[in-house]
Amino acid sequence: MPVIFEMLSYPFMQRAFASGLVLAALLAALGIFVTIRKMSFFSDGIAHSSLAGIAIAVISGLAPLPVALTWALIVALIIWRLERSTRLPSDTLIGVFFTASMALGVVLMSLSRGYQPELLSYLFGSILSIQTRDLLTIAVIAALVMIWLILSFRQLTYLSLSEDNAAVSGINVPVQTAALYVALSLATVLGVKILGIVLVSALIVIPPAAGRAMTGSFRGYVVAALVLAEIMMVAGLTVSYLYDLPSGATIVLIGTALFFLAAGGRWLRTVLTA
Amino acid sequence: MPASSRKTNNRPADASNDRNHGRVHLHSIVEHKDALPAISVQNVSVDLGGVHVLEDLTFAIPQGDVVAILGPNGSGKTTLLKAMLGLIPFHGEIRIFGKHLHAVRELIAYVPQRFDFDREFPITVGEYMDLARHRHTPPDRIASRLAEVGLPATLLDQRLGSLSGGQMQRVLIAQALLNNPLVLFLDEPAANIDISGEATFTGILKDLSKRQDVTVVMVTHDISMVTGLVDHVLCLDGRMLCFGRTNQVLTEKKINEVFRGDSAGRSH
Repeated sequence: MPVIFEMLSYPFMQRAFASGLVLAALLAALGIFVTIRKMSFFSDGIAHSSLAGIAIAVISGLAPLPVALTWALIVALIIWRLERSTRLPSDTLIGVFFTASMALGVVLMSLSRGYQPELLSYLFGSILSIQTRDLLTIAVIAALVMIWLILSFRQLTYLSLSEDNAAVSGINVPVQTAALYVALSLATVLGVKILGIVLVSALIVIPPAAGRAMTGSFRGYVVAALVLAEIMMVAGLTVSYLYDLPSGATIVLIGTALFFLAAGGRWLRTVLTA
Repeated sequence: MPASSRKTNNRPADASNDRNHGRVHLHSIVEHKDALPAISVQNVSVDLGGVHVLEDLTFAIPQGDVVAILGPNGSGKTTLLKAMLGLIPFHGEIRIFGKHLHAVRELIAYVPQRFDFDREFPITVGEYMDLARHRHTPPDRIASRLAEVGLPATLLDQRLGSLSGGQMQRVLIAQALLNNPLVLFLDEPAANIDISGEATFTGILKDLSKRQDVTVVMVTHDISMVTGLVDHVLCLDGRMLCFGRTNQVLTEKKINEVFRGDSAGRSH
């Protein structure tokens, strides 16, 4: 126990836990809709696209997080607009923008000479280096997205399960879809700060994937996904602190273990009740 | 002016006005619904991806009737239904009780042909049905709608994905009825129902039409569903081949003309 108290006495760990707990809940809640709508490639694409925003910030001397957020927002809205006007499948559009944006980021980074610590921290995440300014940005954006999510939860669920019926019932499907894209891109870029471009999708996909193996009701599914996301974050940060492991990768591995436990539990229940 | 050159007219000028006085209008529509056709379609054409799918359709559906839209695969049946529901753009004018669709959304309901969802998805029947309304619906009200379509209240806590095709279809109808609609649109309602369930299903639709005065518009290519249930038929093959009372319009010759030997359309 003393080592836990010691861990929590460090300001950088306090900031890591605060930002991690907020973002784990937010990304898992959005992840529920990502998994229903089978759009996990979207969050992956947005995360990779943010590299161009980070590169622009690095070569122009600006703070990376706000620039990456703005860039991701623009990419998300362009994808939404093109989905509606071109009728191209969204994974095709995401594939185009994801690779183009990533390529732009690599070219821009090559223009900046010398070692790029910011680039590495965004590629693999650096939750322990979260500053108070970052924490405030995360808190404000997460609060706004969460309020929208709570207010739109029923509508989002209905349109994710049955878009035509949702439209007939009067839900503004294009606007709610655009809002989901915006919320998801903002939350994904905030998550990039914690887990990095490469691993952020884990916080969006793993908790809902593990949660659905544990319950037959939607209410249970939402609760399970949120609780598992928080366990993943707390256990991941604690284990990485105790054993001096990279925090982002440890969080993902703990989440993967939870997923297999949930899947195994479901299999066992099926066998026992058969 | 030909319909195809007409400006898309699915958002007429009085639509915002309608919305502003939505509650008053809905009340007045319910009171005076018998004075107007439930649905009036005027010079409606639909182009999808540069292809003429529907051409210059004009007809009116009386309140409380059961209407079948008949035609072979690819004749534009579902496209017409989606145009009437405001789900796709169209040229011409479609009115429900004399109002634009946006003003009367609360009075209409829709049961799609296929409900494509992940059968392993964790959601109960009660939870899914509850989503149809903007506010939470008490479980006893949901249960009473389930009872109307012949399903037990015990189904409320059952996982939606565990239902059979026929049960799912009835659940979707019960969900559509939660808002007490005046017009119910169904796309191939018998597609997932076996022969034994078809009679129950026909009874449900008859009850809605005759006892609850709900106008039922259904797309089907199953002639056996039409006999004894449907008041009006609309035969479609991109354009309107026939429209009128079933016993006057649906002759053997017309069926052959509409389906051109398509055995799926003759009977089930």
